Amino acid sequence: MNSNKPTAYNNRLGIKGWVYAGRYTFERYLYLGHRVSGLGLIAYMVLHIIETANRMRGVEAWQGLMALFASWPFKIIEYLLFAMAVFHAMNGVRLLVTELGFFLGKPREPVYPYSTSIKRHRPLTFVIMGLAAMIIILGGSSLFFP
Amino acid sequence: MRETRLWSLHILVLPIIAVLLGMHFAVMHYAPVFYGMSVDKAREFSTMIERGKSVTQLVLYILLLAAALYHGLYGLRGIIRELPLTPVLVKVVDAGIITFGLFIFAFGTYVTWWTFSYKIGG
Repeated sequence: MNSNKPTAYNNRLGIKGWVYAGRYTFERYLYLGHRVSGLGLIAYMVLHIIETANRMRGVEAWQGLMALFASWPFKIIEYLLFAMAVFHAMNGVRLLVTELGFFLGKPREPVYPYSTSIKRHRPLTFVIMGLAAMIIILGGSSLFFP
Repeated sequence: MRETRLWSLHILVLPIIAVLLGMHFAVMHYAPVFYGMSVDKAREFSTMIERGKSVTQLVLYILLLAAALYHGLYGLRGIIRELPLTPVLVKVVDAGIITFGLFIFAFGTYVTWWTFSYKIGG
């Protein structure tokens, strides 16, 4: 018997493990979204630093770049970035709150039907994600109507 | 212990990022709401230079750059280190991320300093 055979719960599934690592819950999708949005934001941040350095090429280069950013495709990209930032920040708040032990309830005897800590903090998850959705819709809409 | 410190720092920079990124958004994207200025005006070269000549902005932008880069690259490191890497590769990843982070930080700081020391009409 090969004891090293990867299983659904093996921590060494790599990127494959992100996409599917067993039975997914809502929180697991949030975990995936947190990672994808985090990678998107760090990639954007580096590009943003490089792109804003364009100011050193003078007024015309800067104004040309700003005119490009004012176009519709870039407005949509800007909105997606805003949505990613809000989602990442709000999910980060949820992670931090649960990491510090809040909204998890008191420890209980494991009596069937089991109540997991994830289930116990799910109302908080829904509230935070609801808030994130509101901010994304309301706050982001102003990017299109300056 | 070293990993705990790195993790703690990645959490401790969050308030800095939240406040300073919020301010950055307010200045660049919500100028009509917070400053009564159109977004186009807020992004004009002259406005950007005028803002950039403030010592407060210089300090806060460098602080935001450091905090956001640290938080982001720490996260990236964690993701990469989940892959099945050999101990040598782990060290290569760490060294690569530190080098990359320092390079981007130096470049961003230089651009901020360039704006701060820009001579109008010069």
